Amino acid sequence: MARASVFDNQEKRAIVRRTIVGALASGVREFRYMPDTHGITAAAAEEFAGEANFVAVDSVRTASALDTIRAAEALQAEGCGAVVTLGGDGTNRAFALGWPDAPLVPVSTGTNNVFPTMVEATVAGAAAGLVATGQAPLEAVAGQVKAVHVEIEGERDDVALIDAVLAADRFVGSRAIWGGDRLREAVLTRAEPSAVGITSIGGLLAPLTPDEDTALRLSLGPGEGGVSVLAPIAPGLYEPIAVRSHGRIALGEPVHVTGPGVLAFDGERERVLKAGQAATLRVARDGPRVIDVRATLEYAACKGLYRDDEPPDGS
Amino acid sequence: MTAADAPAGRQLVYTLAITEGVRQALQEEPLAFMAGEDVAGAGSVFGIYRGLLAEFGPDRVIDTPISESGIIGLAVGAGATGLKPIVDIMFMDFIGECMDEIVNQLAKMRYMFGGKATLPVTVLTMSGAGMNLAAQHSQSLEAWLCHTPGLKVVMPATAYDVKGAIITAAREPNPVFVVMCKGLMALPGDVPEEPYTLPIGKANVIREGDGLTIVAHGRMIHEATKAADILAGEGVSAEVIDPLWLQPLDTDTIINSVAKTHNALVVHEAVRFGGVGAEIAAQIAELAFDSLDAPVGRVAAPFSPVPFSPVLEQTYVPNAERIADEARRILGVG
Amino acid sequence: MASSQASEPSAEVLKDLHYRMVRIRHFEEEAGKLMEQGKSPGALHLYIGEEAVASGVMVHLTDNDQITSTHRGHGHLVAKGGDFKKMYAELFGRETGYNKGRGGSMHISNVDAGMLGANGIVAAGPPIAVGAAFSNKYLARIEGRDRMDVAVPFFGDGATNEGAFHEAANMAAIWKLPVVFICENNGYGEFTPQAEHQAISDVADRAAGYGMPGVICDGMDAVAVWEAAGEAIERARTGGGPTLVECKTYRFVDHVGLRGIGLHYRTDEELEEWRARDPIPQHEQRMIEMGVMTAEEIQAVHDAVMADITESIEFAENSPLPDPADLLNDVYTPTAAS
Ligand SMILES: Cc1ncc(C[n+]2csc(CCOP(=O)(O)OP(=O)(O)O)c2C)c(N)n1
Ligand SMILES: [Mg+2]
Repeated sequence: MARASVFDNQEKRAIVRRTIVGALASGVREFRYMPDTHGITAAAAEEFAGEANFVAVDSVRTASALDTIRAAEALQAEGCGAVVTLGGDGTNRAFALGWPDAPLVPVSTGTNNVFPTMVEATVAGAAAGLVATGQAPLEAVAGQVKAVHVEIEGERDDVALIDAVLAADRFVGSRAIWGGDRLREAVLTRAEPSAVGITSIGGLLAPLTPDEDTALRLSLGPGEGGVSVLAPIAPGLYEPIAVRSHGRIALGEPVHVTGPGVLAFDGERERVLKAGQAATLRVARDGPRVIDVRATLEYAACKGLYRDDEPPDGS
Repeated sequence: MTAADAPAGRQLVYTLAITEGVRQALQEEPLAFMAGEDVAGAGSVFGIYRGLLAEFGPDRVIDTPISESGIIGLAVGAGATGLKPIVDIMFMDFIGECMDEIVNQLAKMRYMFGGKATLPVTVLTMSGAGMNLAAQHSQSLEAWLCHTPGLKVVMPATAYDVKGAIITAAREPNPVFVVMCKGLMALPGDVPEEPYTLPIGKANVIREGDGLTIVAHGRMIHEATKAADILAGEGVSAEVIDPLWLQPLDTDTIINSVAKTHNALVVHEAVRFGGVGAEIAAQIAELAFDSLDAPVGRVAAPFSPVPFSPVLEQTYVPNAERIADEARRILGVG
Repeated sequence: MASSQASEPSAEVLKDLHYRMVRIRHFEEEAGKLMEQGKSPGALHLYIGEEAVASGVMVHLTDNDQITSTHRGHGHLVAKGGDFKKMYAELFGRETGYNKGRGGSMHISNVDAGMLGANGIVAAGPPIAVGAAFSNKYLARIEGRDRMDVAVPFFGDGATNEGAFHEAANMAAIWKLPVVFICENNGYGEFTPQAEHQAISDVADRAAGYGMPGVICDGMDAVAVWEAAGEAIERARTGGGPTLVECKTYRFVDHVGLRGIGLHYRTDEELEEWRARDPIPQHEQRMIEMGVMTAEEIQAVHDAVMADITESIEFAENSPLPDPADLLNDVYTPTAAS
């Protein structure tokens, strides 16, 4: 289940405000945003209405991932040059469902996220701004990440950014991943020993970076020749995980799984597979183009983008 | 001006008279605002504030969270600092949530501060039983308020009086509770279009008579009037007085009437024990003892919470029959 | 976050969740009709749409655990095993009702089964539940039990703006009482949307202010509620203190009655989107797919519940009214003769 949010609305508004300040410094004058029920972004935008144009895109309000998916579609349709997301793995996954290869600066609003990073919003906004205005070329400062594409027999497709796992569960329920003895099959875009979640199982066995052009497959559960890995599969939870086999797979190579079970993406149970229902998992490097904030600002420094050789009057 | 003098003319139901009272209070006083739960967007669950949001906008007609202490506190703070708050506590029963703000703050601040603070606050709230809303949505708690020095309390039971009471309260520099009667919401009456006030602390003599004084307030004035009709058929002439203002109370009108009729019956919907009627009866005993031919009678609710079941609620709430019975008992007739 | 709960719901639990939800739904639909036909006096606040919440929580509770309820209380009582006969009789103000006709819809209770009453006062429940939990902890101590009974207050999003909620949360947290606060966030307090009555989106955030865990779950999925509540209830039972569980849900009908007073404060699209997530068909579909119940078996549950309702309404209609002579009974408990 989801924990209460780590950042309250007041803090989120401050983050949005700082993002805008950063983007303004980079010369952005056109902003599009996803409206939220509490007008967090709208309130921040209002403050800067004199300096730039802010427009909310159409969205729906279902208190579910659908809201983010729709907003992502709308932002793409608006032709945004860069997007700052504020949230966790789930928010970015939903965003990628709406706009698969979005130019993103994912700002994390919690400690337990793998995809978005903890980055100060002011510079995140600045980096997004440099890309959006074309001052920093996207190809130079962003890398396109891998994504797990999930085809589910007879149902809509899905996506995971870090890991997709089939568990011997039957319910999405409160979403959190249960005990490790229920995990069956996993496909990872990255295997990080220092992260928390399914990715850590791979990470502690055979690390895989986001940059490498392969994926990792884990067959989980006890079996001949298997090993056990003590891994932090959820915050505050180290469990011995039985791994039957693991190995790199090529991008595009399909992994077939069959229900009954539950597919969890990026740490949350999302989709139920009925008995006999098939799903195919396939990793491709066609996910969001994640803007590297540090690299973008280094680029700006090299090019002197924020530099003015005319000193201010009187100095 | 009283209802009797009002030109027979435009009729409004009680609820619309409330709306008009608040509207005119807001129109004439730019420092007045209205706040309460669902008063703006929904125009109140009773529909009594419909249209005010559209007319005055969200800065002056304000939906609050479900926070009664906060609502009265808002009125105290805003009132003490120059605004003229008109706030709504949906059901009178909910004043339990904010009794500290009412009793220890709103009522006493001026006195405690040596007269240095002014609290021009109007509180509107809906009282009364009869709609099968059970123990927590049916009470008449006006005695709690009348027992608290610093508050004024008016309980209008006609369309005319409710509009007048609201405007009077809004113009008054003291906290005034306008205790409205939900059982009267559909009651029509003559209501002048222009703003008007009621004299504070002045009773209405609803009907003149010389055999018995019936003092009734709130919805009970209508039952008392019906009882007076019944009694008239039996040759008893009852005078019906609606004190209207329970704090301050128009003792003179009541005493003068008893001096004329020599018999008194006090009626209200609230529980009998410790009710406002006990105070009225005590004042009659103190000030008109020599005029009385019989002990003062009282008809009020029994000492229990308001029951839900319609059969019990009907037994619980006083009515014309019971008033007439008690009158006969006092007079030793029938 | 991983759960300490040992397993996912068994077939029995799934059927139990379903049974409770179906009982609530039909009870409420019939009650709503009776109100609109003028047969059920007073005002009814119906629970239609929110069934997964009461059901998901109540499966974990025994009659020794207490709940406090709200103005929207029928669902809580039904889920806690309420007898339809006594419930309809109460709604009709009959002597055979749970409260002998004294309380009606807004005060319906079953103290014997730990249902400490619906309540006409918003947010009145949480402090009372804190008292019950205090009692549970006290009694467990003097009786030497290490597992405590748990008190569960249900309340709405709007209720969390009352001081009473905050005082209760704080007391439960400092004394580590066995309380599980269940917020039924249906997005509105009467006609006011949540965004206009509080500046937070997740009521669960309020937990942080009192030093207790706050969790959010899908209140349209009985299994999600079952999981979230189960973990919190187990923690409370074993001395881990209170939790605030926020269930995101929706009421399919108006604030009062089925059609209410005709105010337009929610869009049709919003209603449709939530109705598409109706907890009952969703749960039924899942059980059929899992082979837990067949469509015929499910239909049989509905039929049996409806038969019970028909019989219960008849019982209630034919039940005696209270005797006005008894009006003053039960104002006080008789003082024991010394
Ligand atoms: C103390 C108090 N204030 C106001 C009310 C009137 N009232 C009844 S229900 C309600 C809305 C409650 O909203 P919420 O807590 O979200 O519960 P919901 O009705 O949505 O289930 C209000 C304001 C009341 N009954 N008690
Ligand atoms: Mg609500």
